[in-house]
Amino acid sequence: MIGVAPPAYDPAAPTTAHTLPVGSPGTVRAYVAELLRRHRRAFALLIGVNTVAVLASMAGPWLLGDLVERLSDGAKELRLGPTVALFALALVVQAAFVQQVRLRGAMLGERMLADLREDFLVRAVGLPPGVLERAGTGDLLSRITTDIDRLANAMREAVPQLTIGVMWVALLLGGLVVTAPPLAATVLLAAPLLIVGCRWYFRRAPSAYRSEAAGYAAVAAALTETVDAGRTVEAHRLSNRRIRLSDQRVKEWTAWERYTLWLRSVLFPVVNLTHTTVLGSVVLCGGVFVIQGWIDVGQLTTGALLAQMLVEPVGLILRWYDELQVAQVSLARLVGVREIEPAAGDESMAPGGRHVHADRVHFGYREGVDVLRRVSLEVAPGTRMALVGPSGAGKSTLGRLLAGIYAPREGRVTLGGAELSRMPAERVRAHVALVNQEHHVFVGSLRDNLLLARTAAGDDELWSALAAVDADGWARALGDGLDTEVGSGGTALTPAQAQQIALARLVLADPHTLVLDEATSLLDPRAARHLERSLARVLDGRTVVAIAHRLHTAHDADVIAVVENGRVSELGSHDRLVEADGAYAALWRSWHG
Amino acid sequence: MQIQDLPYPDPGVPDARSGPRFLWWLGRNQLRGQFKALAWGLLHFVAVAGLPFCVGLAVDAVVRRSGADLAWSGALMLLCGVAIAVGDTFLHRAAVTNWITAAARVQQLLARKAALLGSTLTRRVAAGEVVAVSTGDVEKIGWFVEAVSRFTAAALSVVVVCVALLCYQPALGVVVAVGLPVVALAALPLLPRATRRADVQREKAGRATELASDTVAGLRVLRGIGGEELFLDRYRRASQEVRQAAVRSARMWSLISAVQVLLPGLLLIGVVWYGVGLAREGRIGVGELVTVYSSIMMLMYPLRHFEEIAMAYSFSRPSARRAAGVLALERPTTTGSDPDAEVPHGDLHDPDTGLLAPAGRLTAVVCGDPDAAGVLAERLGGHPAEAGTSVLLGGVPLDGLPLDTARTAVLVQDKDPVLLSGTLRELLDVPASGDVDARDALAAAQCDDVLEALVQGSLDVKDPMDARLTERGRSLSGGQRQRLALARSLITDPEVLVLDEPTSAVDSHTEARIAEGVRRLRAGRTTVVLTSSPLLLDRADRVVLVHEGAVAAVGVHRELLHTEPRYRAVVTRETDDEAAHGGRATEAGRGGRGTEAAGPGALEELDRLEQIEETA
Repeated sequence: MIGVAPPAYDPAAPTTAHTLPVGSPGTVRAYVAELLRRHRRAFALLIGVNTVAVLASMAGPWLLGDLVERLSDGAKELRLGPTVALFALALVVQAAFVQQVRLRGAMLGERMLADLREDFLVRAVGLPPGVLERAGTGDLLSRITTDIDRLANAMREAVPQLTIGVMWVALLLGGLVVTAPPLAATVLLAAPLLIVGCRWYFRRAPSAYRSEAAGYAAVAAALTETVDAGRTVEAHRLSNRRIRLSDQRVKEWTAWERYTLWLRSVLFPVVNLTHTTVLGSVVLCGGVFVIQGWIDVGQLTTGALLAQMLVEPVGLILRWYDELQVAQVSLARLVGVREIEPAAGDESMAPGGRHVHADRVHFGYREGVDVLRRVSLEVAPGTRMALVGPSGAGKSTLGRLLAGIYAPREGRVTLGGAELSRMPAERVRAHVALVNQEHHVFVGSLRDNLLLARTAAGDDELWSALAAVDADGWARALGDGLDTEVGSGGTALTPAQAQQIALARLVLADPHTLVLDEATSLLDPRAARHLERSLARVLDGRTVVAIAHRLHTAHDADVIAVVENGRVSELGSHDRLVEADGAYAALWRSWHG
Repeated sequence: MQIQDLPYPDPGVPDARSGPRFLWWLGRNQLRGQFKALAWGLLHFVAVAGLPFCVGLAVDAVVRRSGADLAWSGALMLLCGVAIAVGDTFLHRAAVTNWITAAARVQQLLARKAALLGSTLTRRVAAGEVVAVSTGDVEKIGWFVEAVSRFTAAALSVVVVCVALLCYQPALGVVVAVGLPVVALAALPLLPRATRRADVQREKAGRATELASDTVAGLRVLRGIGGEELFLDRYRRASQEVRQAAVRSARMWSLISAVQVLLPGLLLIGVVWYGVGLAREGRIGVGELVTVYSSIMMLMYPLRHFEEIAMAYSFSRPSARRAAGVLALERPTTTGSDPDAEVPHGDLHDPDTGLLAPAGRLTAVVCGDPDAAGVLAERLGGHPAEAGTSVLLGGVPLDGLPLDTARTAVLVQDKDPVLLSGTLRELLDVPASGDVDARDALAAAQCDDVLEALVQGSLDVKDPMDARLTERGRSLSGGQRQRLALARSLITDPEVLVLDEPTSAVDSHTEARIAEGVRRLRAGRTTVVLTSSPLLLDRADRVVLVHEGAVAAVGVHRELLHTEPRYRAVVTRETDDEAAHGGRATEAGRGGRGTEAAGPGALEELDRLEQIEETA
């Protein structure tokens, strides 16, 4: 077997379009520099204790070399007592400082890691709602799980260990130079082999390990899906296909394992031979030097033992170096989020009323393709407007423009005369809220789930919000009331209860205008009766723009806007539009069958 | 087994009676690999231990000013070096191969168990448990199984070196032979505590990751309503807890490192003290002293394996127990006696409720209680979780048929069908009669916009069939997911298709077209739809109302709407809700209310009924 080619299929290759940017090398460098600056004292401390530990570890070889020298000279006075005492002292110092090195290394790594993950979440939480709405949360989610995980190893181990390893090697070489300068030169004989071997290896290793890890994750993912989809797998008789798929994943994963094993099959002999060469050249050349009388036996002994000690730090560097390379990719994905402009908004922008107005608005998700064209709409305070139209006509997009989530490409959307897209997101949401099918229940207590809407609210306010949406009954029945842990892993809530929590949040946040994007359509229709009653109470007294999937919603609205092909084609009450016998009337009739 | 031959064509039948038995079974099945690793390991460790002898010989030669002996020791050193390199590389290859083959075997066993148990699996153990076995436990199991041969090789070579030292230099050898085991085992008492702290750290890290991903998953809610600071604070706290737990754990590990430096060091000092004395008396040479000193330094390497095997065992024992627990699961019911039973034809009849779905017709079932509807749907497919009176297809009890035959005859699409990740082509490639084209099924389920969305979300894809769905189809909206699932069921084209609320998340406009499409595509086939949507009900050949576990009325939609108040109460729910939705009282007399599917002919009648209801 001469060589193994990398497998053709790469499980780490992206399949879905990137939705968020990946950091440029410049951003990554700047971030790393900032991280180092922030932790420079911890770094200095680590380097300090490591120096002491390594210097203490060199005492043994020195003292032994000294003894050997005197023994071989046949000296009468060995001064064994003081030597052993020194040896013991150095050992105690070494042990104490090695303990400190491990501990300080871990503390530094953990602090950097904590910084990194907290920084990332701070950034993620500050993303403009429009970016989130467009990009979805999938990409962010994979960054905060997979990439943080990969970085954890790098920060926790690779950075401190590499720092230690590099210094260690430097100090040992320094020790060799001090012991016997000619010996230090012989160590360099092994350098070319190591450099060539490592260059070959590190060019291939990082991406291969990434693919291998992705391949292994895919094996587990296939199983997870089979378990998760148990009913579907059984109903569709997919068992054999799932087994074949899992076997296929195992095949893909092990192909990468085989490749990385080949890479190491090259690296291992190189590293081993380097060590032997170092030791061999120190001993043999040193031996010749001694015979020539350039150095003495004691220096040779010390040199040989120091050369032997090089094994560990070199191994340390090789072991962690590729981890650092893998980490770079993850780091680029994490800091990429920093490149998105946080959309600060204009603090001076404040609405002077509740009037929502869209003025000749154009909007598109992609360059050159407008989803909305020259749309003008006016929603008077307290009215209920329904947006209807076929799927893909632009209703949801228009709703998001009216809620201030997207900024129009042309034209203006204003609330009380002030442009929504120029206001900070925090101000917009005090006035307008978008209610969609997503009713996320956060992991945590029921209280936390409500408090997010009004952070300063007391328990009384929370209970009355729950009562307002008819949720206080089941909420009081929960074991620990507001302290009950809900969300994944906690008490399981029904979709209807989750939706009620979402509505209770609206009651607490109390925006005067709501944009409803078919808030209840994901629910089992048979279970939604009381829910719609809850919703009705929330809507009472507010301006409502409802994106209607079901025409009966439209029917009751004060004004119906028919959105077709990116334009508002009709505007008026139900009766008037039916009378007008246009698109709405046709839709209404077709719906009736 | 070589890595390139994986996966196993058949991973075998594991001994899953207990964790240790399972570990033993795995090891027994790769004896060859274990012996290979043992042999290479011996070569490697013995060669590593041989290096100090060479150094000692060289020092001796130098002391005696003998260039020839120095050259000899150099040659010997080279030999050792080559043996170390070869031994290390092939030990690594053998060990990694053992690890991978063991891990692959367990993964394959798990996949088979999960696929064959289907819905039974999650009823018996938590889904998370199975996933935890796959993601965490397999690695640990493989680690221990692999480490056994490496440990054996290390232990044997320590013994060999000690014996060799005893022969080479008995006086110093005794000190080493007695001292080494103490040094090797000294850190063991600290290990359980260290691993416990590491477990705490992992647990806290898992919690922090969960909080972070949960916050990100709900980010749109947070950005829309507020509370970012609340959640950030919470995450910061969790993150700092992880950090503290990690440092606590590092404290223990750093203590272990200190012990690992201190004890061998003490041994070295002892050897030097004693050895120098011996050298002065002329009982040993200087080179011998150097040899013993540096072989102690070298022996620390195989000695690390003593700790590793102890850790590997303590980690893998609970893992093996969990894995064995999952692999020991079996289906509770006997899955039919006759493996060659044919797929029966005819009417579908449920003796329990009295529900009858005539062959070749579209039957809609209205059920007031959503939970009861789910149970009924499951029973209609045969082999339900709770055995009872069997549903009959063409007079044949489904529960008596082999599971596969029953599932072939009746396909039940439950309320929450899962879209499996992969390309759309893979998703729609399900066992099917072959009579329904994917294109027709997608058209009937109104999937045009779904295809478009899929293409847009993928990289370099033109044909929607090549577009990839993410796990559970999360990149799609609820309605889009429902339509794809429906298309998949339509392609299967089973004898009987049971659909539980197939369009609850779809807008009315599209729902009406889907109702028409399904009716057309399933013409002449038996279809049962559990629903309360008038749009679907209106297109059914036969509508059955199931009330409190029994059939209460049978007819067609428009007829039942007028004759059966209980039916009307369930189906025209939307009428009340529409009022609620609009936030105002029902306005009587307005045309078309709540009659979306009833058609203009029934309007006046309904208005009258509504008025009656309101006055009541």
